[in-house]
Amino acid sequence: MMIFSNSELTLPFSNNFQVTGGSSGIGKCIAIECYKQGAFITLIARDENKLLQTKKEIEKYCVNDKQVVLCISVDVSKDYEQVENVLKQAQEKLGPVDMLVNCAGTSVTGKFEDIEVNSFERLMAVNYLGSVYPSRAVIATMKERRMGRIVFVSSQAGQLGLFGYTAYSPTKFALRGLAEALQMEVKPYNVYVTVAYPPDTDTPGFAEESKTKPLETKLISETSSVCQAEQVARVIVKDAVQGNFNSSVGSDGYMLSILTSGMSPVTSITEGLQQVVCMGIFRIVGLFYLGSFDSIVRRCMMQREKSESADKTE
Amino acid sequence: MMIFSNSELTLPFSNNFQVTGGSSGIGKCIAIECYKQGAFITLIARDENKLLQTKKEIEKYCVNDKQVVLCISVDVSKDYEQVENVLKQAQEKLGPVDMLVNCAGTSVTGKFEDIEVNSFERLMAVNYLGSVYPSRAVIATMKERRMGRIVFVSSQAGQLGLFGYTAYSPTKFALRGLAEALQMEVKPYNVYVTVAYPPDTDTPGFAEESKTKPLETKLISETSSVCQAEQVARVIVKDAVVVCMGIFRIVGLFYLGSFDSIVRRCMMQREKSESADKTE
Repeated sequence: MMIFSNSELTLPFSNNFQVTGGSSGIGKCIAIECYKQGAFITLIARDENKLLQTKKEIEKYCVNDKQVVLCISVDVSKDYEQVENVLKQAQEKLGPVDMLVNCAGTSVTGKFEDIEVNSFERLMAVNYLGSVYPSRAVIATMKERRMGRIVFVSSQAGQLGLFGYTAYSPTKFALRGLAEALQMEVKPYNVYVTVAYPPDTDTPGFAEESKTKPLETKLISETSSVCQAEQVARVIVKDAVQGNFNSSVGSDGYMLSILTSGMSPVTSITEGLQQVVCMGIFRIVGLFYLGSFDSIVRRCMMQREKSESADKTE
Repeated sequence: MMIFSNSELTLPFSNNFQVTGGSSGIGKCIAIECYKQGAFITLIARDENKLLQTKKEIEKYCVNDKQVVLCISVDVSKDYEQVENVLKQAQEKLGPVDMLVNCAGTSVTGKFEDIEVNSFERLMAVNYLGSVYPSRAVIATMKERRMGRIVFVSSQAGQLGLFGYTAYSPTKFALRGLAEALQMEVKPYNVYVTVAYPPDTDTPGFAEESKTKPLETKLISETSSVCQAEQVARVIVKDAVVVCMGIFRIVGLFYLGSFDSIVRRCMMQREKSESADKTE
């Protein structure tokens, strides 16, 4: 049937993987995961020192003599021309790209009216445009070769909006919209798009985000546990290689993905059946979760007001 | 139960509605719809002439003497400070805002690699930031008053990504993410968020978009019909409710299958004609 896809990208040692945001966090672990399987890696990030450090770290996992880790220092969100140029140079050195992983991203949490105003634009630039530009730079070649993978690393916050994420969730929702539209365009060319929805993952980025997290957001996040970046990377690479559109981690992630699958494409009959059968039930479960989140928010608000009026009477 | 909300905003004649993108299309019809019910309207858009024209059009639907249509010319996506100032001025004239409708938006269609590069940023600025800034400017007052409505006009393209919409769909998906997160924050304050998902609607914006639409996008869009802006506006103002999932997912999968067929057919036809051209 038309809607199912049937393409597995094998990983011979000449495969060329580009990872943006590859110098730390999930991006780094994805690069390591692919390298362990014999791939050539292009790491794309802004900080040259971090890139070289990460390159050394990755090279320890070498499995054959021919493997290469190429580092490119560029801001993928600033200027398309520049991104296009550096990615072209990378292709001249290592050959055409087999898989591009868009992992460059950052996060800011806080109440809508407290978040610094320019964060909305800044986050959208890094998380969204920083995925659009590299993808656009490689898509023509992938379509010509009739093969390729593009991975967008969204987030569970890209499947549901949560308290404190008014600057972050939209950027991750946007990646899903981009992925769905793009997949429909490139499917006949045997190019597959994967959207990954990792949960809270133990990375430097997450540690940074946690510093200024509102109480409500912390309490709500405790509903699911923090994952290890290596585990998240393994799942993403596996799903991307298989050409699965949807990539989720853990049982929470599984339920959330089925619940929010909406009009996303499916890659197998089993996936479609699971979604059809489980959606309704998961929606009920989801409603209970939402109810508990609303309680948390309400409780925090009342406590805050109580302490504020207590301060006033002193 | 916590998750259900139980608040209907009544429309007495002193209600203050602000509509961005209010000078044409769905925004204009929303403004008219609210005005017919006695509201005070603030129209927010860039073009002063269009604003004044629309103001005259709206005033025909006047239902009492006290009603006012205020026009504000500003680009809601450029500079937050400016947006905040003009909306404050509007509140000083007409009182605090009861409902903000974020309708400023534009669209560009085309294949991912054909769309002009700066369109991705431009569309995201207008459609997303242009909804963030006005909302941020009014949210504090709404939370203080413990009442308010914020409407985001997304699109069916914000519910599923379609061929040709790689620059547009993300902006409309983003509005949904914003709405969900914001609603969770403001619910205890009795402020409610609505996300509207209109289909293709007969507006000047849609006419503009249709000029450069790829064939695949046109064919896929024919699956649903073009709506009238007035009808869309009525529904948005009233608020819509949706249910019923598993069965619809099956239906949805069949639609996806047919869309994929259309895309494949067009690609094969294009390649056939390209190779025919080459052999000549």
